[in-house]
Amino acid sequence: MQKLLKQNNIALLHEIEHLQRSLIDAQGNIPEKPQIYTTWIIKECDLLYQRALNNLKYLEFELEDLLRDILSETELVTRAFYDLNGQRASPILRARASDQLSLKFLLWLHSTHTRAKNIPAAICDGEFGVWPIQPTLYATPCTSQKGLRNLPIFFHEFGHLLYTFHQPEMDAIINELQAEIRDSLRSSVERNDEYERTRETERDVIVHTWYEWAQECFCDAVGLVMGGPSFTHAFSMYFRALGWNEYHVPKRELAHRSHPVTWIRIRLLVDRARQMDYNVVATDLEEKWRQVAAALGVREDYYGFYDPKFLSVIQDKLDDMLMETSPRKFQASEISNQETESTFTSPVALLNRAWQKFIEDPDGYREWESDAIARFIDADLGTFLT
Amino acid sequence: MMNSQWRAVQSFQENQNLISAINILSIHIKLEMAGHSNLNKEEDIRKAKKELGAFLTELNPQVKRAEVENKPLLGVDPRRRQFIKHLITAKRNYRISSPFLLGKLLEGVQLLHSDAKADKQAILLFLEELRMLLEEHIGSDVQQLFGGF
Repeated sequence: MQKLLKQNNIALLHEIEHLQRSLIDAQGNIPEKPQIYTTWIIKECDLLYQRALNNLKYLEFELEDLLRDILSETELVTRAFYDLNGQRASPILRARASDQLSLKFLLWLHSTHTRAKNIPAAICDGEFGVWPIQPTLYATPCTSQKGLRNLPIFFHEFGHLLYTFHQPEMDAIINELQAEIRDSLRSSVERNDEYERTRETERDVIVHTWYEWAQECFCDAVGLVMGGPSFTHAFSMYFRALGWNEYHVPKRELAHRSHPVTWIRIRLLVDRARQMDYNVVATDLEEKWRQVAAALGVREDYYGFYDPKFLSVIQDKLDDMLMETSPRKFQASEISNQETESTFTSPVALLNRAWQKFIEDPDGYREWESDAIARFIDADLGTFLT
Repeated sequence: MMNSQWRAVQSFQENQNLISAINILSIHIKLEMAGHSNLNKEEDIRKAKKELGAFLTELNPQVKRAEVENKPLLGVDPRRRQFIKHLITAKRNYRISSPFLLGKLLEGVQLLHSDAKADKQAILLFLEELRMLLEEHIGSDVQQLFGGF
């Protein structure tokens, strides 16, 4: 065991040194200014290097009793290194000039919240997603990194980071939501038999499933509150032509599913848009989803996992969660769709204008977008940082 | 949005930190008992105790609710719920013997701060068994994040 652990830690030292050199070589290619993310990752590499060195020093004590601890430490350093080497170093090693757009947007997004403003952000290739840790890694499909229309999806991902800042309070609110859903699912007749026990188990599954669903619905609400109509357009376009499963999920697949059926999320967004007096946006969203559902012949059924009677309690709890996390709200001027110089210095105005432009003139959009991105990248966002 | 890997990332990082805290304390006690000086700083040891203490304090009512009161754990992350289930199953299957893990989690928090020589073996057993459960639990996050080949 002593020899094996020594080999593994020496191999780790070699690999970490190799990654450190690659990161330093690649540093110049990063469009991020200042390079907070890169500095952070290099520091993590140094810490892992030190821990592998410590393991070798512990081995020198030749204490049989310590071997199990050194094995565990070696496993920790190995896993943390795989994480750095496989995922978190990649935004630096794969950096491209076109990352500028997403990075500028993400740095602005983080700057809008007191808890996030000092947390570095980076992007990597992949399906939309987030690693809500510090530093934060946002995954985005390759072509989405180069355009404006899918950027509002980052508002949703940012919601996951906001959740972590207030986890105990947010979990407590979800606890209340789950309790209310549980109460509303109770039958009016008291029974104490096998049928009732089966129903109880089914209710538990629904209630537990809502822990994760509530987080996703909260992130959607963050998207709407921060991005306005640009978020509903991006969200709807991204999902509405993905197929039947966005509208209907079989009962057996609903239990403990990580995300609610997308049509439920649309229902909640439509309702929230109406509450905010954006009736045109709400009706447009509702109508488009109804049209596709009708074309697919989908019958709306969530098998008890969602019922319109849940709507008001869900929205109340989402309001509480928004209050707790305080995301920046869009301003009316940012969604007016009047193109002025300030359109290119306000990310929210830019994304809303982009969607408006795409809807009005899809043929002329690409030329406009290319020019808009160049102006946004050159712009000073100082006045829009809060 | 489509990708639910973030849950595994959070759980992975939390468990890595907890196991690291256990290792810091375990190595510190063993080196001290063998009369060697430690490589870890006092500050790291203090932080490790604090981190484990916070985790166990949060875990205590959750385990009680699930095990003693047999009530559903609302407002609790699914990965944490799995860990609690794992802990309860390990207790029922006699896989753990530390009295602090078997039912006195809060006393276990106090124990971590004890400097008494007589408590060292009890602390080591407590840490070793907690680490075993956490290492078993982190397996599915590792699988999701790093997969296999």
